[in-house]
Amino acid sequence: MEQGIKSFNLMDKIKGNPIVRKITNSRFYKKYEWKAIIYILPVLIVLAVLNFYPIAYTIYISFTNFNEVHFYRFVLVGFSNYAYVLSTSNLYTIIENTLVWSFGSTAVMVPAGFMLALIMNQRGLRGKYLYRSMFLFPWAFPAFITILVWSNMLAYNGGVINEIINVFGFRSIAWLTSPKYAMISLILVNFWLSFPYYTFVYTSAVQSIPSELYEAAEMDGYGSFKTLTGVTLPLLRRQIAFVTIFGFIFTWNNFYVPFLLTSGGPGISTQILITYSYLEAFSYDNFSLAAAYSVFSILILLVFVIIANHYSKMMQVVY
Amino acid sequence: MQSVEINKNEIGYKQENYEMFKRNNYYKRVRLVKRIVSHIVLIIFSIFAIFPIYYVFITSLNPIGSLGDATLKDLLPTAKASLYNYYSIIFRHPFLLWLRNTLFLTTTSTLIGLALAIISGLAFSRFRIPAKHALLYTLLILTLFPFTMLVIPFYFMFAELHLLNTFIGLIIPYSAFSLIYATYLIKTYVDNIPKDYEEAAQMDGLSRRGALFRILVPMAKPVIIFSLIIAFMGPYTDYALAGQFLTSPGKYTMAIGMYYISQGTITVNYGVYSAFAVLMGIPIFIVFFVFQKYLVSGFSLSTYK
Repeated sequence: MEQGIKSFNLMDKIKGNPIVRKITNSRFYKKYEWKAIIYILPVLIVLAVLNFYPIAYTIYISFTNFNEVHFYRFVLVGFSNYAYVLSTSNLYTIIENTLVWSFGSTAVMVPAGFMLALIMNQRGLRGKYLYRSMFLFPWAFPAFITILVWSNMLAYNGGVINEIINVFGFRSIAWLTSPKYAMISLILVNFWLSFPYYTFVYTSAVQSIPSELYEAAEMDGYGSFKTLTGVTLPLLRRQIAFVTIFGFIFTWNNFYVPFLLTSGGPGISTQILITYSYLEAFSYDNFSLAAAYSVFSILILLVFVIIANHYSKMMQVVY
Repeated sequence: MQSVEINKNEIGYKQENYEMFKRNNYYKRVRLVKRIVSHIVLIIFSIFAIFPIYYVFITSLNPIGSLGDATLKDLLPTAKASLYNYYSIIFRHPFLLWLRNTLFLTTTSTLIGLALAIISGLAFSRFRIPAKHALLYTLLILTLFPFTMLVIPFYFMFAELHLLNTFIGLIIPYSAFSLIYATYLIKTYVDNIPKDYEEAAQMDGLSRRGALFRILVPMAKPVIIFSLIIAFMGPYTDYALAGQFLTSPGKYTMAIGMYYISQGTITVNYGVYSAFAVLMGIPIFIVFFVFQKYLVSGFSLSTYK
């Protein structure tokens, strides 16, 4: 009882304090609802502990000699990890692979998804829901499983793709084990995995355009191509940019497709920055080099995103 | 004189009519061609989409010793087709143990992540939180960072806390990732719901908080279900984290089991392997199929912003 009164007095004292009163009466303080921070506290904790700290830690160990040999006693070594990475020819091959992989995948899956969304959005098209259910299969089956299924389908001996090719009289192709075809196979599998996602996203975007606009376009005698370039594309400009750029980022950081299909092989012909970083860390225990590769990856990606955002203003979709 | 003029008009009218008829006919033909092309494209893509699933399903029914033994004949159900492979994977291999581990991990982390995400997503959308835009940009920019940048520090962090090879050590990062992702999704969806509903509820005597959670949570059902599916999918198929964290076979999840089977560390028949793939995929597939309509409405990329 007494304690309750005491604390009540204490709160009163704090609130009566001239400095506190000055702060609470300021316009800056009144602009925000400070108590609402409690609701987003979990997000803040997660950001601090499980995102910012690890990222800072990765940047830190990229400047040390943290590896199997110096596991317990590692010291700062400055930029020597970066100098080493830049001096190896591997880095340039890997960056080239990463670029081919990300641009190649985005260039096929985004237009295909948009095209399918437009086709499925035609008025009075029969069997729309049947097709939509079919497209659900690659998305709904966990990618982890289907990538492994694809790796069996593309196998040189007994793989069903080669069996079918043989029926038509062509010789078997080493889809996953020759440097020539390995990247094409990766992009093909990634295309299979992701085109349904883009179809669904773009269907959602296309459906958000009011039908009156299409009716008006039809009254003005617009053909379907002119409707596309005159109505749909300008209206969805930012949405398309947003989805494309985030698709690019996701592909850049996509780990499972290269890791499970070829694990970077043959040689390093399908090794991308992120799989190589994982390999350095957990196969060779070279944690500082792995961190340096991660930092390279994020720096290059950041440049791309800043340029893309500058031209497309896609971040405006967010608000 | 007059009658001639009328006649001329009539001829003109008829000609126009004929031209319109011709043009209409042309449009009809174009439309028909368009329809046929559309259907052909959609059918090709449907076959492409469904073939690998069909392939794994059909090989799970046929008795195939190894991948090298597989032939084109296995693409159709043979006389020897049976459910023996399913019997084998369930009762001869630790499938049920892996399933239990996976379900425990996924449901706990999804529920924790989603419950927190609903609260923070609504708060982000409706309260005037200091530095809100900076925080939202941060959430987006964090998607740029490759997860290898996180896995390595996580490994040492959790080693220090003695959480490696425990389920708690995985539930924490799993629920954290789904929290971030779902917060963002829920926030963008709730932004599109007009504020009138809560204001009306507040008029009827609900507190601000009560109005928010009792009115908006049911209204945000599509996006909550959508994020639930996405959040469930991550831990269910995670290998990169679980494969490094869990070392004792008693704690393996289905994804780890699947990886070791495919790499040949655990040897099984090819048919058994396919049966495993089907059994692991089916639950997620059913969930997707049942909640299909929320997959489109869950994205809220509205045009006018």
